[in-house]
Amino acid sequence: MEYFRPTSLSEALEMRRSTAGAMFIAGGTDLMVRFRKEGRSRPPALISLRDVEGLRGIEVTPEVVRLGALTTMGDIVRHAGLAAACPALAQAARRVGSPQIRNVATVGGNLCNASPCADSAPPLLVHDAWVELADARSKREVGLEYFFSGPGETGRTPGEVLTAICFRPLGPGQRSGFLKKSRVHMDLAQASVAALLEMEGDTCRAARLAAGSVGPTPLRLVSVEQKLAGARLTDALLQEVAGLASEAVAPIDDIRSTEAYRRRIVGVYVKRLVRALGGDA
Amino acid sequence: MKRQELEFSVNGAPVQTWAAPDQRLVDLLRDTLGLTGTKEGCGEGECGACTVLVDGLAVNACLYPCLEVAGKEVTTVEGLATGAGQLSVIQRAFVDQGGVQCGYCTPGMVLSAKALLDENPSPDERQIREALVGNLCRCTGYTQIVAAVRAAAADLEVDHG
Repeated sequence: MEYFRPTSLSEALEMRRSTAGAMFIAGGTDLMVRFRKEGRSRPPALISLRDVEGLRGIEVTPEVVRLGALTTMGDIVRHAGLAAACPALAQAARRVGSPQIRNVATVGGNLCNASPCADSAPPLLVHDAWVELADARSKREVGLEYFFSGPGETGRTPGEVLTAICFRPLGPGQRSGFLKKSRVHMDLAQASVAALLEMEGDTCRAARLAAGSVGPTPLRLVSVEQKLAGARLTDALLQEVAGLASEAVAPIDDIRSTEAYRRRIVGVYVKRLVRALGGDA
Repeated sequence: MKRQELEFSVNGAPVQTWAAPDQRLVDLLRDTLGLTGTKEGCGEGECGACTVLVDGLAVNACLYPCLEVAGKEVTTVEGLATGAGQLSVIQRAFVDQGGVQCGYCTPGMVLSAKALLDENPSPDERQIREALVGNLCRCTGYTQIVAAVRAAAADLEVDHG
């Protein structure tokens, strides 16, 4: 195996083009475990993106937030402006692994690894994020909602680098948040929920919700969003959307949890999060 | 496996060595450089026994490709003592508070504590526990470890006047 450490994106893409089977690596917190643990055949070369110029950094403007793909979860936690621009993501980043993991794990890696339990995915979905992809010949943008195609699978081709994640910061009357259930604090999610509400008094004008660890990909909860849009946030309504959320997801039994528990907890967390966000009005 | 030349700094001293692309930082430190203070526990970033600082940030050396430390400063537990037999304030506090039993988790705990106190000199208990969430201890039950970090914070404050 070879290990390349390019310093420019064009160099990285050219290395990938000229080395069949080479794989990009960002923080490596998932890949290093996978290479070791599963005895998975290693690629002929790893192309490290850590030192590629321009891939790391956070830009916050009133219109758009842009995260370089190599921005670490620790960078997100420590950034002064993100907690206001995107509370759901700031809260989720704090719940990724441990400080040691957060100092290395990147947001681009979290999305490309495409685990159904990726903590950054539900917050970015409710903030209507899109990703920027580049290969040796062209660039394109893909809505995050259309990026995930299955567990560990995305619309990224092996020759493409995910270079940045962009999303809209909170607008007037909007608030967002994230809740995660795990066995112990630093474990992967048994279920997670993110929500973005646009409130006017006690009426929800619009809502976006997403959940993790309850389906083959992170999921938007469209039926919940439709129910909340234009509705007053009464206890009866919250009870109803909890039920809709439990029905909307497609969880499995695995080592961390059961299908039944995941359905239940996603409903409880949707109710809890919507109530908390709606109550801030 | 093509070995590559690697230059970085460990505990303030420059290091020039050769490393394989699939070598992890924990292997380089322990096997190549003989710095066996850094322990390996789970090998997958769960237990924190291999915690070291890279440019001041705590990382799991078992998940860190060693070629990525090129040009960087690595701090291991060997770099903390201020002289022969002279423990650092944090190490002293772990001894005084009974924060060490079998000792296997201690180097990682001490480095996570250092990363915390470098960033936040007067953490409350919740912040201490959050900072140590990636370091498992199977002996102490954590109470004495948290007490050690509190004591170290108080001692460092006195030192800095």
